[in-house]
Amino acid sequence: MVTRTEEEEVNRLENQVENGGGGVWEYLCLVHKLKLRRSDMVLKHGLSILNDSKKRSALGPEEWTLYEQVAVAAMDCQSIDVAKDCIKVLQRKFPGSKRVDSLEPRVYRKPPLYLHKVGGWLRTHHHVQNPCPEPHLWDSHWICCCCRLEAMLLEARGLWSEAENAYSSLLEENPFDQVVHKRRVAMAKAQGNTSAAIDWLNKYLDIFMADHEAWRELAEIYVSLQMYKQAAFCYEELILSQPTVPLYHLAYADVLYTLGGLENLQTAKKYYASTIDLTGGKSTRALFGICLCTSAIGQLTKGRNKEDKESPELQSLSAMALEKDYKQRAPSRLSVLSSTLRSLKI
Amino acid sequence: MGAGFLVGVIGVLILSHATYSTIQYRALLKITEEEFSGPSINVVIELIVSLVLCLWAAMAAPGNFKSIHPQSEENRVVALPANLDFMIFNHRGKIFPLETELKLK
Repeated sequence: MVTRTEEEEVNRLENQVENGGGGVWEYLCLVHKLKLRRSDMVLKHGLSILNDSKKRSALGPEEWTLYEQVAVAAMDCQSIDVAKDCIKVLQRKFPGSKRVDSLEPRVYRKPPLYLHKVGGWLRTHHHVQNPCPEPHLWDSHWICCCCRLEAMLLEARGLWSEAENAYSSLLEENPFDQVVHKRRVAMAKAQGNTSAAIDWLNKYLDIFMADHEAWRELAEIYVSLQMYKQAAFCYEELILSQPTVPLYHLAYADVLYTLGGLENLQTAKKYYASTIDLTGGKSTRALFGICLCTSAIGQLTKGRNKEDKESPELQSLSAMALEKDYKQRAPSRLSVLSSTLRSLKI
Repeated sequence: MGAGFLVGVIGVLILSHATYSTIQYRALLKITEEEFSGPSINVVIELIVSLVLCLWAAMAAPGNFKSIHPQSEENRVVALPANLDFMIFNHRGKIFPLETELKLK
């Protein structure tokens, strides 16, 4: 999650880096940590570090992480040559992975087994006699990473079937590699095959149910296909797993409002209210949502002489908050806002 | 920070004074050959005062407290991370490749 302080920090560092004020490595670390997609910046400034041998060696083992980060950024910017070069450097450092470029079936070196770590009944196993030292564990991570990067490069070049083959062989090697599973979903999506992407994602979520990023992706795919009921289910999962993230509450409320119907609208209103609660009243979208929900509920229940159980002051409060916010930040738009609010009040 | 640190120093000084007077008191008891039943009342008061002062200093000196509320201005979530695991490469940026000649040397 990107919090307010972190966002400010990123923007500050980005300005500083753009104006050549240093702090490039801190910026790249923060982008990596917050999982932001600033591929052009990462490519430009990551390369400036990698091309400077003094700066590069100062990073220590983090150097290889930077190569990976820059490789992915380069693919995102369609600088295939740079990505290829980065992967080549990684392969030279961590040999053991076969080239993925050719079409023949590939054999990857199996990562060493660490049975001695399990202990107990495995102690008599021959692995105990020559246990693999720690660095190999690190190596096998990077060998997998190289294979994955190569497959991603195939993807970036648009060689779908080759990439698919590479991913399937990677999955044969390690059927529980979450990233590879996700790449397959992304590939189906990139080819415009949304139904296949949904199938893959559902299969993936059957195994890795706690992966909230996958739930979010599924929800977004469903919303793009206007399958709001399914999307609402995904957002419910997300709210369950991360109840303090207001953006999930907001998205869930949006989906429910779009679905319509009295019950959904009432629930949507509650979730807009919880979004306001979690953002400290700073979410303009949620404030508008409250107004829209109240007006829609009013329209639906107009004919009936039912007693209004909901608190009537919620709408006027959110309208007041909106007016205050507009007065502060966009005084020229205040008249538009007040006419909109007037048309909503029935 | 300065005030809190000063309070802490005073607290530690009072504590060492209490130690010193206890040792004195026990030495006195040895001379007069009386039984030690407990520390005298001003030592106990000194101990309590120094405890309070040191606690205060421990709270105040290291820095300010940060908010743990999810809705506070610092902790407010403003954006979700880009779902990088599901990143796809054939987006519209493909049509506008970076013009600069970037190369890994």
